Amino acid sequence: MIASSDDIIIKTIARIFVPFIQLYALYVIMHGHYSPGGGFQGGVILGASMALLLITHGYDEVKRRLPEGVVMLLGSVGVLIYAGIGLTCLLLGGNYLDYSQLSVILHVDPAHARSLGILGVELGVGFTVMAIMYSIFFDISTGGILPGDEKRNEELENNG
Amino acid sequence: MEVTLFIHAADDAFRILENAKVQAVGLLDTATRLTSETRWMEEKKVQGILKGAQATRSGFQNFVATFVMLMGFWALLSGKFDTFHLSLGVICSVIVAYLSHDLLFANVRVGDGRVIAQRFIRYIPWLLYEIVTANFYVAYLALSPKMPIDPQIIRFKTKLESDISWVTLANSITLTPGTITIDIADREFMVHALDRKVAGDLDTGEMEDRVAHIFMEADHIYIQDVLDVSRIFAELKRGM
Repeated sequence: MIASSDDIIIKTIARIFVPFIQLYALYVIMHGHYSPGGGFQGGVILGASMALLLITHGYDEVKRRLPEGVVMLLGSVGVLIYAGIGLTCLLLGGNYLDYSQLSVILHVDPAHARSLGILGVELGVGFTVMAIMYSIFFDISTGGILPGDEKRNEELENNG
Repeated sequence: MEVTLFIHAADDAFRILENAKVQAVGLLDTATRLTSETRWMEEKKVQGILKGAQATRSGFQNFVATFVMLMGFWALLSGKFDTFHLSLGVICSVIVAYLSHDLLFANVRVGDGRVIAQRFIRYIPWLLYEIVTANFYVAYLALSPKMPIDPQIIRFKTKLESDISWVTLANSITLTPGTITIDIADREFMVHALDRKVAGDLDTGEMEDRVAHIFMEADHIYIQDVLDVSRIFAELKRGM
């Protein structure tokens, strides 16, 4: 269990910087098809911002913002978006992730459809990477023992 | 005959005294009224200023302020101003502002934001000047053959009230060569200083006063003092 940090300087600086780090992460995801970056990099930055909040403000604060359930949901939804876009292309008669086929659904020219398709895939990758990054960090830092889940913790202690 | 004259004189004297008393009472009444009126007016003014300085913003105001700042940051990063990218920016800013609208403005004594920004910008040149002069002094310490350093740790209680002003002061101290903030605990700063002169410079508290000025933390005392005394006396003088 990670408690809130005692250091006022670190806490305050983290408090001010976290929103900007998160927006930067979303910028990296959204501009992945124009500039360096993309879903994976942006997702890692987003996960890192949550990890920063976790080590400075403690578990309770982070849980209030982004509960465990929502994180796992985001991770699954990301995979679903990626696979969904790929399979839609397959169903429309192209190859897997052949974005130009999406122009039929989106009513735009194939080049534009490619750009939008990549953006969607990057978004899915970003969600998943962020969720998995965050949950790996969280699992390592707590040793797999969830704070507040007394029953399960007792079971784990009895077994171990 | 003398008796009647005397009685007349006594009557006159009595009347004069009575008049003087009435006038004096009138003057005193005016003075009291003026004092209380001005006090009341000035107190309302001070309350207004204090309210501006101390009221915490509502969640929605925080959300909007965070959104505006994030949108500006997005425009700076993106540099693409077509509808598609701007709408992406709006969506992203809304998501981040929703996730962390209470982070950016947590436990800040909200003063007038524009005043704080102006004062902060005016603080930077002074800080740069301090950094440059301290640089020369530390270079002198390092280069002189005897190396007259006298490392010491000094502690002082701060009068600053919010975490953001503590952090500004701590980082200003660390940025100035020769001094490093080690810890802030329980409103007490623990600072490592390279030499007696540097420690003495810090002890004058000028930097602390300037930081307090930026975040409007000394203002309420100052305004209260000035308004309480000088204005009321001026008003009284005019009334009499």
